Amino acid sequence: MNVAITPAMLGQVVVSGILAGALYAMVALGLALIFGVMRVINIAHGPLLMLGAYTTFFIYQALGLNPYLTVPITMLVLFILGALLQRTLVYRVVDAPELSSLLLTFGISIALVNLAQLAFTSNLRTVEYVTGSYTLGPLAFSKSRLIAFVVAAALAGLVFLFLQRTRLGKAIRATSQSREVAMVCGVDVQRIHRITFGIAAALAGAGGALVSVIVAIQPEMGQIWTFKSFLVIVLGGAGNYPGALLGGVLLGLVEQLASLFLTTQLSEAVAYILLVLILLVRPTGLLGGRQT
Amino acid sequence: MTPRGTFRLGLVVLVAALAVYPAVGTGYGLRAVLQIFMWIALAASWNLISGLTGYVSFGHVAFFGAGAYTGAILITRAGWSWPTAALAGGLAACVVALVIGYPCLRLKGPYFAIAMLGLNEVLRALVSYFEGLTGGGNGISLPTLEATVPVYYAMGLAAAAVTLLTYLVITSRFGLRLMTIREDEVAAEAMGIDTARHKLYAFLLSAAGPGIVGALAARDQGYIEPISVFPLATTITMIVMVLFGGKGTVWGPVLGAVVLFVSQELVWARFPYLHQLLFGSIIVAVVLLMPRGVLGVLQQRYHLPRTI
Repeated sequence: MNVAITPAMLGQVVVSGILAGALYAMVALGLALIFGVMRVINIAHGPLLMLGAYTTFFIYQALGLNPYLTVPITMLVLFILGALLQRTLVYRVVDAPELSSLLLTFGISIALVNLAQLAFTSNLRTVEYVTGSYTLGPLAFSKSRLIAFVVAAALAGLVFLFLQRTRLGKAIRATSQSREVAMVCGVDVQRIHRITFGIAAALAGAGGALVSVIVAIQPEMGQIWTFKSFLVIVLGGAGNYPGALLGGVLLGLVEQLASLFLTTQLSEAVAYILLVLILLVRPTGLLGGRQT
Repeated sequence: MTPRGTFRLGLVVLVAALAVYPAVGTGYGLRAVLQIFMWIALAASWNLISGLTGYVSFGHVAFFGAGAYTGAILITRAGWSWPTAALAGGLAACVVALVIGYPCLRLKGPYFAIAMLGLNEVLRALVSYFEGLTGGGNGISLPTLEATVPVYYAMGLAAAAVTLLTYLVITSRFGLRLMTIREDEVAAEAMGIDTARHKLYAFLLSAAGPGIVGALAARDQGYIEPISVFPLATTITMIVMVLFGGKGTVWGPVLGAVVLFVSQELVWARFPYLHQLLFGSIIVAVVLLMPRGVLGVLQQRYHLPRTI
C-alpha cells in the first residue's frame, strides 16, 4: 500500500485501538468467567452478544428509548436467558469431557443464529443514535465508540469489584478455585454456575447493546466475537481476569494497526496469526498463569 | 454364513452396484450419489481427528476450501490434469493442517477447537485478498470438461479410501493410542504415548481427505469462489453426520452421511434456516441423549464388534 504513515495516523490507531479494546475485554470477561468457573468454553457467547444487540434494537424501535439506557434491560434479559441455558442444557456437560461441552455450546450457537434468522430475518438493522466524533487536535474520537469504551470499562470494573468484594463474588471465585472445597464450605455450586453463566451472558448482552449503535445488526454478527473473546483470553492468560483487559486493548491495537496497512478484512487474519504465534511462543498468555 | 461373512458379502455387492451405476443411472441419480460420496469422505475425515482423539475441529471446511483452490489454480494456471491436481489439493490441506496443528495440538484443552473456529474465516479473507492468484471475489472458472463419470469414480474412491483408512486406524495400535488420548490424555502420556505427535498425525490424516474432495468438487462444479468453498454450513453438516451416525466408529460417518444427505435432499433443502436450526438441535440432542450416536447404541445393544 502506498500510504505515507504520519504520526497523527499512528496516534489515531492507538486511540481507536484502546477504545475498541475495552469492549473486547468486557465481552471476553464473560467467556473467561464461564471458563474459569466451569471449565466450559461457551461457543454461543458471540450469538448471545447478537441477541443483546437485537434486544436493544427492538426496545429502541418500540419505545424510542435512548439505546444506552437499554443496557441494564438488555443485561437483565440476557442474564435470565443465560441462567436458563445453564439450568436446562449446559449443567449436564459441566463434568463431561471437553468434547461434549464444546459440541453442545456449538449446537446452541447454531440454533440461536438460525432462530434469529427465522425470527428477525437477515435484513441489516441499525440503531442510529449518536453519530459523528469529537476532535482533539489531529485525533478523532468517534462518539459512539467513546461511550462504548466508558460503559464497557465501567461494567468490567463493576464485575471486578463484585468478584472481589461481595460474598457472592467470593463464592464464585471459590467455586472456580475448587468446586469440592467450595461445596464443603456450604456454597450451592449449581446456583453459582447459573449465576456465573447469567453474568457472562449479561456481559455479552451489554456488548451487543453497545455494538448495536456502532455497526449494523444481523444474525451472523456474533460468531466472530466468540473467537475474538477467546483470543483476548489467550493473550491475557487463561483464568487471569486482569490479563483480559490487557488482551482486549492489545487485540484492539493490533487490529487497528493492521487495518492501517491492510484491508479491514485482512486485519482479522492478522489477529488470527497473532493467536497462532502466541500459542506457539507463550501459551500461558502474556501475563502468565492462572490467578483467580 | 456367519454374520461377518454376510456383512462382507453385502459390502462387495454394494460396491459392485455403485461401480456399474453410471452405466444405468440417470444424471440426477449420478449427481446425488456423487454428493453422498463427498459427504462420506468429509464426515469420515472429521471423525479421524475429532471422533478418535476427542479434539473438536470446528473449521474442517477450511481444508475442503484449501484443496478446492489449490486444485483450481493448478488446473487453470499450470495446466495440470484434475486427478493430479486433486492429490495436490490433499497435500496443500495437509500443509495448512501442519501449520495450525503444530502450535495448537501441543497444548491440551480448547485451544485447538477455537483456533479451528477462526481458520475458515481467515482462509476466506486471505483468498479474497490475494486476487492475483485466486481471482478474489470473482472466483475461478475452470475450463469446461465433461467429466461427471470419472469424477464420480474418483469421489467414490476417495470415500472408500477414507473409510478404509478409518478401519485400518481403528484396528491398529496407532488408533488405540488415539482413543487412549480421547479417554484420558494424562494417562496416555503416563503410558509413554507422545500425545502431541499422535494428535498431529491424526490431524494430518483428517485433512488430506477434505483437500482431495475439495479439488474434485471444484473440478465437478467448474466454478469456485470464496463463499462457495468456505461455508460454515459444511463443517456443521460434517459434525452432525458423524455425531448422528456415531463418532469414533468406522461406519457411523457413512450411516450419518447417507441418512442426513437423503433427508436433506428430500425435505430440508427447501427450508434453509429451519434446516440449520434442526442441525443445531440434533447436535444438542445427540450430545445430551445419545452421545455414541445411532451406531454406538446398536453396538451396545446387540454386542456388535467395535469395527462395525
